[in-house]
Amino acid sequence: MGRPLKTRPIRPIIGTMLSIVDLSKRYDQTPVFQHVTLQVAAGEFVALLGESGVGKSTLLNCIAALDVPDSGQVLIAGQPLAGLSDDASARLRREKLGFVFQAFHVLPHLTVAENVSLPLRLLNQYDDARVTALLDDVGLGGLGQRFPAQLSGGQLQRVAIARAVVHAPALILADEPTGNLDPVTAEKVLAVLRKQVRDAGAACLLVTHSAAAAAQADRVLRLTDRGVLPADAS
Amino acid sequence: MKGGPLPLLLAREWRHHPWRHLVALLAVALGVALAYSVHLINTSALEEFSAAVRNANGEPDLTLRGPREGFDDALFDRVAADAGVATASAVLEIDTYARTADGRRVPLRVIGLDPLQAATLTPALMPQPQDPQGNAMAWLDPGLIFLNATAREQLKPPMGTALQVQSGPDWRSLRVAGSVGATGTALAVMDIAGAQQQFGALGRISRIDLRLRPGVSQQELLARLALPADVQAARADEAQARISNLSRAYRVNLTVLALVALFVGAFLVYSVVALSVAQRTPTLALLGVLGMTAGQRRMAVLVECALLGAAGSVLGLLAGAGMAAAALRFLAGDLGGGYFPGIAPPLQVGLLGTLGFFVLGVMSALVGGWWPARQAQRIAPALALKGLGSPGGRSPPAWPGVVLLLAGAAAAFAPPLWGLPLAAYLSVAALLFGGVALVPATVHALLALAPRVQAALPLLALQRARFQRSTATAAVAGVVASLALSVALTVMVASFRAGVSDWLGSVLPADLYARTTGNSAALDQAWLPADFANRAAKLPGVQAVQAQRSRALQLSRDKPAVTLLARPLDQPASALPLVSAPLPATRLQPGEVAVYVSEAMVSLYGAAAGTRMALPLLPAPAAATPVRVLGVWRDYARQFGTVAMDRADFQRLTGDTRVNDLALWLRPGTDVAAVQQALRSLLPDPTMLDYASSAELRRLSLRIFDRSFAVTYYLQAVAIVIGLIGIAASLSAQVLARRKEFGLLTHLGLTRWQIVAVVAGEGLAWVAAGVVVGLLLGLAVSMVLVYVVNPQSFHWTMDLVLPWGRIALLAAAVLVAGTATAAFSARRATGRSAVLSVKEDW
Repeated sequence: MGRPLKTRPIRPIIGTMLSIVDLSKRYDQTPVFQHVTLQVAAGEFVALLGESGVGKSTLLNCIAALDVPDSGQVLIAGQPLAGLSDDASARLRREKLGFVFQAFHVLPHLTVAENVSLPLRLLNQYDDARVTALLDDVGLGGLGQRFPAQLSGGQLQRVAIARAVVHAPALILADEPTGNLDPVTAEKVLAVLRKQVRDAGAACLLVTHSAAAAAQADRVLRLTDRGVLPADAS
Repeated sequence: MKGGPLPLLLAREWRHHPWRHLVALLAVALGVALAYSVHLINTSALEEFSAAVRNANGEPDLTLRGPREGFDDALFDRVAADAGVATASAVLEIDTYARTADGRRVPLRVIGLDPLQAATLTPALMPQPQDPQGNAMAWLDPGLIFLNATAREQLKPPMGTALQVQSGPDWRSLRVAGSVGATGTALAVMDIAGAQQQFGALGRISRIDLRLRPGVSQQELLARLALPADVQAARADEAQARISNLSRAYRVNLTVLALVALFVGAFLVYSVVALSVAQRTPTLALLGVLGMTAGQRRMAVLVECALLGAAGSVLGLLAGAGMAAAALRFLAGDLGGGYFPGIAPPLQVGLLGTLGFFVLGVMSALVGGWWPARQAQRIAPALALKGLGSPGGRSPPAWPGVVLLLAGAAAAFAPPLWGLPLAAYLSVAALLFGGVALVPATVHALLALAPRVQAALPLLALQRARFQRSTATAAVAGVVASLALSVALTVMVASFRAGVSDWLGSVLPADLYARTTGNSAALDQAWLPADFANRAAKLPGVQAVQAQRSRALQLSRDKPAVTLLARPLDQPASALPLVSAPLPATRLQPGEVAVYVSEAMVSLYGAAAGTRMALPLLPAPAAATPVRVLGVWRDYARQFGTVAMDRADFQRLTGDTRVNDLALWLRPGTDVAAVQQALRSLLPDPTMLDYASSAELRRLSLRIFDRSFAVTYYLQAVAIVIGLIGIAASLSAQVLARRKEFGLLTHLGLTRWQIVAVVAGEGLAWVAAGVVVGLLLGLAVSMVLVYVVNPQSFHWTMDLVLPWGRIALLAAAVLVAGTATAAFSARRATGRSAVLSVKEDW
């Protein structure tokens, strides 16, 4: 992390929350992905499909400044990630990113409300009313004082979604958010996610294997060994 | 479990984490080794000492034993003439000194007997002349002496030369004519008539050994003999029992101290196994889903602990035997207690004892593994597989801890059992376990005091510490136990040291001290005439002299002799370190003599202030002297009882004007060395007195004290290190179990140091609770040690001294070290594997 990249600087596009230009990553001599170029605008919901092992999770890590690409450039809301220190990367994630994971990842020792409020607290912007309103909005009204062990899978993923949007991030990265849910619950959760993304004015990159989930997106792309292509491209 | 996955899982686990399990194994081994070696050393020394006593006492059917100064030998003729007696052997025992060629005094026990009669009863004491072709009756010569191997080794007298043996203020020349086979301490045998003549014991003997005719009843014989009041019949094994009793409290305390290591080892097993279970939670959960029952999971962990304990025990037994053999070889069998002087016993290994310590080692590992095994049993497979772990927030109930604390407090008030503070030890154990069990409740109570926080980092740390308070026991149990033990030992040692220091100040008021012997058994042979004190008082520079006569008094046949001190007691309150104001002399009845007794006399003989006693100051048939206890004083030098009497009373009652000790007050500016030189010139032999200034005695005493208790500092250090390892292991376990949580926090934007701070904050909350509990427990345990264990073991009391500075330093050090250990353990939380763990699916 923090290693300068040997790429030429690019000009950010106004209104673009995520901008990826010619990004490549390899482990040892094996390429994980290469020549990935992608832009996601504010309020846009983009689904990214891809076979297992094609590097979807590694791409998400590079976008979240948790991994360093070998070449290429990533900009979040116009801010390039290249050269960021560990602390600066952490600050960027804190302020501009929201995450939703397949396995929910809510903290078992915090209440639902405390889990949702965590990003606000990290930004010293704790706002009880916002947390309560958001919980109502995702269908968890009245459950704020419960602990995660008392919730169902679908409810846990709503907690995660609320936590991802509570601080109004520029970009939400959702990694298989419906992978652990039944189809009916998955559809409801996805609807909540889509609504929250739109309401927050954020961009969302949804990584999924699910065609049903992808169908909810504004745009569907496919990650291949030749880079990111439209899903229907051959 | 045969054919099940357990052997495979254990093998893989141990292969993956060999060092972690090795640490736990070594902890068990260390505990077993320490306890086993102390046991072996004590057993070997006791056995050797008993063998030496058996050697010297032979194996008579019955022994008639008198007071230490002996009894009239006319009794022998009457006893030997009885029809029920097959053989009777009169024995005179003299404890004195012999002088080496280079002028040193060496303690020597001289046994006077008639070899013709002793041959069958005490064969080990039969003289073996150096020249077997010489006069077979040579040993009847009153000027000949026969030495055992130890005496020959220590004195190195050329055979046939004269050996100087002390008799009062004189030296007797006795020719070394051969050897005796008796083992043990330095011992010499000579003809009884010669011994009576040489050592001023004409007409007196110490004991009569008897071999009875077949079918003779001992009761009927004793009834016929109508023994004098100061002569008592004893079986051969009673002497051995007395030897065993003499050192029993010391041996038991030493063993308990060694067992502390095993106790601490159990905590390390607990920490390591708890870590191992936490790490294997997903595996155990998966096995649960695949059909392994909760009971099987618990059994798997217990089997692992039993194997660990068995391996540690075997290693510990081998190491303990090695340590004991080395200690016996290089330090003899004494272990610093002074109970088994001058013997070098061979190692004696008993099967039962070995098996007992093996079982103890395995049990300690099982006790340590019990709670982690329960945790393994309680895993909820579905939740654990989802990464939510076991349901949190459920704390173990507090009542077992409260019950244990109450039981511990109650046991502290129990009297000694078989003369030992066994209930007090149980009290300490109950207090420690009770305190540890109350850690979660204490964490909860302490965190309830913490204000509600808005900031993310304190919220994360406090909520986690509160939510998982049941696991706080795992994290800080070691700290609680080790800090409690450290505080208790610190307070006990500080109290004892302060007590000894005050006591030395009180009992050493003079400038210079001189004594004839440090061996209480030799007081009747190593003495100076009464006028020596007067002559010493006239030496230049000497302002005043106080003389003291010491002698042993056998008050009970099953207890060690008490010491009688005859010294000027015009002002008892200033002459003795009394524990309370003395009763006025007006309380004495006509004919009664005032005495002041040590605390041991109160414990062992019930001789509290105001008690009337009868002291056998004169040999039978003279009546015992009626005395009344007017005060009780503290005596840290003699644990079996001391009676102080005014010297004028003693001389009036006994006519004994001999002197054993001198206390000299010097004029200002007097050269101490010059006074010592002048004192030497008054003696027939300058080596007959040992000298020390009060400053030297004080320095020496405190140095011996500090050396004796140095081991407790090492124990404290070991205990605290093990406690910290416990924190490291527990928090490492949690870091491993919470990798996904830390990965999430990284995604949410926490920096590496913020995550370390969260874990360190949790550690701080738990360690703070542990320190609070540990301090309180330590103070409670120290009170048990000071007020119960010491008086019940050694029969002396001390005032509780709380060295607050050292206690605060100890607590602060543990708090800082514990928090630092927690932060150190958190470093794994910030690694790349933690970041990526959010992608792991089960």
